[in-house]
Amino acid sequence: MSSINLTLKIWRQPNSDALGNLETYTLDSISTDMSFLEMLDVLNEKLTKEGKDPVAFDHDCREGICGMCGAIVDGVAHGPEKEVTLCQLHMRHFASGDTIVIEPFRSRAFPIKKDLLIDRSALDRIIQSGGYVSVNTGGTPDGNSIPIPSPQAELAMDAAACIGCGACVASCPNGAAMLFTSAKISQLCLLPQGQVERKERALAMVAQMDKEGFGNCTNFKECEAVCPKGISIRNIARLNKEYFKGIFLEG
Amino acid sequence: MWFVRFLTSSIGKKFLMATTGLLLFLFLCTHVAGNATIFMSSEVFQSYADELHSHPLIVIVFSFSLLLVFLAHILVGLYLFYENRQVSNSRYAVTTRVVKNSFASSTMPYTGLFILAFLVVHIFGFTFAPHDSLISVTVKDLLSNFFYALFYILAFVALTIHLSHGFWSMLQTFGVNHPRYNALIARLSLILPLFFLLIFGGIAFYFMSGLGASF
Ligand code: HEM
Ligand code: FES
Repeated sequence: MSSINLTLKIWRQPNSDALGNLETYTLDSISTDMSFLEMLDVLNEKLTKEGKDPVAFDHDCREGICGMCGAIVDGVAHGPEKEVTLCQLHMRHFASGDTIVIEPFRSRAFPIKKDLLIDRSALDRIIQSGGYVSVNTGGTPDGNSIPIPSPQAELAMDAAACIGCGACVASCPNGAAMLFTSAKISQLCLLPQGQVERKERALAMVAQMDKEGFGNCTNFKECEAVCPKGISIRNIARLNKEYFKGIFLEG
Repeated sequence: MWFVRFLTSSIGKKFLMATTGLLLFLFLCTHVAGNATIFMSSEVFQSYADELHSHPLIVIVFSFSLLLVFLAHILVGLYLFYENRQVSNSRYAVTTRVVKNSFASSTMPYTGLFILAFLVVHIFGFTFAPHDSLISVTVKDLLSNFFYALFYILAFVALTIHLSHGFWSMLQTFGVNHPRYNALIARLSLILPLFFLLIFGGIAFYFMSGLGASF
């Protein structure tokens, strides 16, 4: 086990209305086996002992499945490693003497609550606007009795892997939420259960997305590159098609 | 009204960009074919121009439609640029772009405006040229000027860069994205713009370098 010494520059902002700034901290002998969040825990322990305000950051599962954690680390959402959340990023990706700049996910639709903690409820409202699946499915059907072709099921599953962390929005130069919305639309429109409300759902979710103040996609592909779940922009192409079908046939 | 809702939505505006972009692309295809007759001889080119202008109705209808398409593409493009600037103006102390080769996509409005500047020069140079000399003579006279031709070539380079993102982006906006065809689309997004550069740029180079001195 090796350990490293770090300089951290962390965005500190007491509340949504306050002006924030980057504060500098030093941390010595951080084990390279620690996760990024554990490193922040160590910092917070130190700050608490010194009687200072610990750094607020979101987290829950710490195993890369809940989507609560996330920050911009040296300019990249969830840090330098590909397809991992911040909680799954380990300190072995950093070297002793590194200065790490940690900033909250930013977007007009994501107000900062405190330090690295942001309000991502705009994403929840996009999901809510999609409404329910109103088919009566009865009891739990036998898995093998539902006729869904395997490639179709795989695509739906790939889309459903989205954990709603908001890294796509934070990294998009336009602050667009297209990758997120496209994943949520795809996971339903690809499956038989999602057919009944298919068109309405596309229209409602896109309308909500626009209302929340997200930007317009210009196909930069940054979202796909930083997504911890590897969601493909092929979903965005599908979202566009779903929206066209909705607006031309039902809008 | 569904139509208004469509065109004011984020995806609707992208649809306008992609549709007008496609129409402009198709226009470029016809324009490049017509202009390539320059490489045959000044007589062939002159007779192509004369033939075209012997149908004034077609010329007028096409010119005005093209003007509308251009205006829509430019105005919606600049509006999107303005809207997006408001969403994210230098958000982070450190920004690292993960996607490589993002030059074309991040310079779309700038390459676009350069093309616009070119269009103004181009249209005043040729379309509104004094009609006392043949168009084939005007082309030769203007493009034999080194700096005039250089400006043309630079504009075609900007067009190539614009289209190297635009062509792919248009298909993505229309929902065309499939692993089976993506490699082909990526190749076309490079080859087609380079083809325009070769022919359009070739014409400017032909006169600039003196190769077309006996045109
Ligand atoms: C020969 C002229 C032109 C052609 C063939 C052309 C073609 C295209 C195409 C195919 C796209 C992709 C649309 C999409 O993203 O779905 C595009 C995007 C764009 N064009 Fe043009 N364009 C031309 C001239 C211009 C001009 C004069 C401007 C002036 C401002 C401009 C500004 C833009 C912008 C800002 C975008 C990006 C839009 C976005 O990504 O959402 N273009 N263009
Ligand atoms: S804390 Fe759950 S994904 Fe990171």
